[in-house]
This record gives sequence, C-alpha cells and structure tokens, in this order.
Amino acid sequence: MPLYELGVILDASLDDEQRSTFLGEIKELIAKEGATIVKEDVWGKRILAYMIKHKREGYYVFWQYEAPGTVVKPLEYRLRLSDQVLRFLNLNLDREMQRARKMAKVRAEQKAAKRAAKERVEVAAVAAAPRAGEEA
Amino acid sequence: MSKKKYFVKRKKTCKFTAEGIEYIDYKDIDLIRQYVPVSGKILPRRVSGTNPIYQRKLTRAIKRARLMALLPFLGD
Repeated sequence: MPLYELGVILDASLDDEQRSTFLGEIKELIAKEGATIVKEDVWGKRILAYMIKHKREGYYVFWQYEAPGTVVKPLEYRLRLSDQVLRFLNLNLDREMQRARKMAKVRAEQKAAKRAAKERVEVAAVAAAPRAGEEA
Repeated sequence: MSKKKYFVKRKKTCKFTAEGIEYIDYKDIDLIRQYVPVSGKILPRRVSGTNPIYQRKLTRAIKRARLMALLPFLGD
C-alpha cells in the first residue's frame, strides 16, 4: 500500500463542532480496507497567501496515511463536493520518492559507465605505448 | 583618478546537494521562502546556484505551496 499525504484547507469560519464532525468523516473515509493513518498534523488557523472563495483565513490539516489505491477516488470526490473545503492536495509520497531513487540510480549507472569507458581508453593507451617504443 | 570597481565573487552552492535531501516538502515554507523573493517569482538557478535536479524539485514544491495558499502566486 502506498503512502499518501493529504492536505486540506477548511473554512476557518466553521465552529468547532462542524469542523470535528467533518474531520471525523474524512478520517472514516481514509480508514477503509485496512488503511492506517500514520501521521496527523493540525496547523490550525492560518492566513491564506491569497483569497480563496473571498476568504482570508483557512484551517489547515495534514494527514499521512497508508491505503490501497481504491480509497483515493471516493475520498477526493467527497472533498471536491464539500463547501467546507477551500482546497485540498493529495500526493502519493511513495511515487515521489521512487522517482528520486530511480533517477539517482540511473545517474549512478551513467557515472560508472563513463568511468569504465575512461579506464578502457587509458588501458588501450598503456598497451599502445610500448609498441611505439619498439618501433623506435 | 581612475575608479576601479572591486567586487568579491561569492561561491554559489546548492544547499540540497550539500545536505543530500531526497524530497522537498511543500509544507516546509521556511526552506522554500529562501528561493522565492517578495515578488513571488521562483529564483533562477543562475542566482541561487541550485543543482538542476533540485531546481526542478524545488519548482514543483513551490507550485504546490502556491496551490495550498502557503505562498502567493503574485507577490507585492
């Protein structure tokens, strides 16, 4: 199961009760089919860098969770429909890391190949050198 | 009197290469802010000295941060 990271900006004007019920609903949606929430990070109220839906403030919550891919679609669908959510961003962290590791591996291989090619040239040069001496 | 201009060339270094960071988090605003001036634009590599690999990752992180209203699309 891949590791996902979900960031949600809620409407800051909601009262605590509305907010907690909504957060509970989201958590329920995540924790399906053997999924687990690894980390919960509540930033709370924060001034937005720009206005969203004519609002200056948002309530930030972040989760990291491990879940099968089937969880993602209904979750994002629910978030998109809600009026209480100003913005959300769901990332597959495993994919981010994989890409980085893959590229690091490819680069390491390229480096090794380059070094090997250089060594081959040097060996050939050394092998050619005494022959030149014999002729002289 | 001839005026001679002296300036010391600063050696530019890539912070990410030096620290061996694998993934740049869009939530790490204090880090990302160093690469976004007040104008809100992304600092070019030529100025910041960031390694091209990390510049691309940084760009992605900045754009995500903008989406989540952590950074402005348009600065002052």
